[in-house]
Amino acid sequence: MEIKKLMESGLMETYVMGIATEEEIQQVLSLTKTHPEFKNALDQLEFDMETLAQSMSIDPPAGTLEKIEQEINQIQRRNQALQAEPEPAFRYDNREQEYAKQERYIEVESESNQMRVNKAWKWAFIAVFVLGKIFLATAIYFYLENRQAQEQINELKIELKQKLR
Amino acid sequence: MFKAVLNIPPAEPKDIRWFYDRYAAMLLGYINGIVKDKQQSEDQLVKILISFTQDFVAAEKSNQHIWLELRQYAQNRLNSAVLSDRQLIQKQSVSEPGLASLDDLQKIVFKAVYYHGKSISQLAISLNYGEEEIRNQLKLAIDKMRRARGN
Repeated sequence: MEIKKLMESGLMETYVMGIATEEEIQQVLSLTKTHPEFKNALDQLEFDMETLAQSMSIDPPAGTLEKIEQEINQIQRRNQALQAEPEPAFRYDNREQEYAKQERYIEVESESNQMRVNKAWKWAFIAVFVLGKIFLATAIYFYLENRQAQEQINELKIELKQKLR
Repeated sequence: MFKAVLNIPPAEPKDIRWFYDRYAAMLLGYINGIVKDKQQSEDQLVKILISFTQDFVAAEKSNQHIWLELRQYAQNRLNSAVLSDRQLIQKQSVSEPGLASLDDLQKIVFKAVYYHGKSISQLAISLNYGEEEIRNQLKLAIDKMRRARGN
């Protein structure tokens, strides 16, 4: 008698319509295990609700299935492409890292007026600069010496000519 | 009930075809009962079937719970934009031949629950009836429709 009362209470209907509270859900699940007549009535109600939905069905327009299949295939292809992309390894050496960078980034040519030089070249540049100064000073010294010598030679030539006359 | 559809690998296209053949027309009828617009209903049908079949693999294809799960899934997606109770009751005033055997209160209760997932307590407050009365009206509505179909 108690089970008949429960079956008439609207409990099954709220469960099948998806609006049962957590407590009602537990009650229904428990009753389906303990009372086969309750389970049969519930199954019948679920079947009738499906029949009711069938009676209110509307045929989708032609091409709907193809549209769905196409979109699902696209989603699956996208997912496969994402899965195929290799995960970066936790550790790899610099060369591999450089290679990975080259793979990931597009190389863009850029022109710059600046040049970066290793600091070790500093002493070489200083030595070249100092030597350059020494060579310049020496060249100026010998040039002046040579000019003075030329002037003396010219003076001596003039002197000799005057004496010979 | 819906936990069963979660964390399962995506369905294959053959399952889509199976779902489509079995549920597409029923689902479109159901969606149209909520959306009340042909084009929007068809768009929603495509979206809902795609997302549902991505989450769902029918382990027991003969299982009649699938329709209840699919209906609830569609209901949750479509009712995410919550309508006020007043809007809901106004929308429900549109007549449907499938519910011809029901009186006005039964129609309102059935549609609010079936299409919009309104709970007994929500309806009791918005319609100003006791919860027992709402529960009773829902049961009467379902019984009438089952009888009208000879069940």
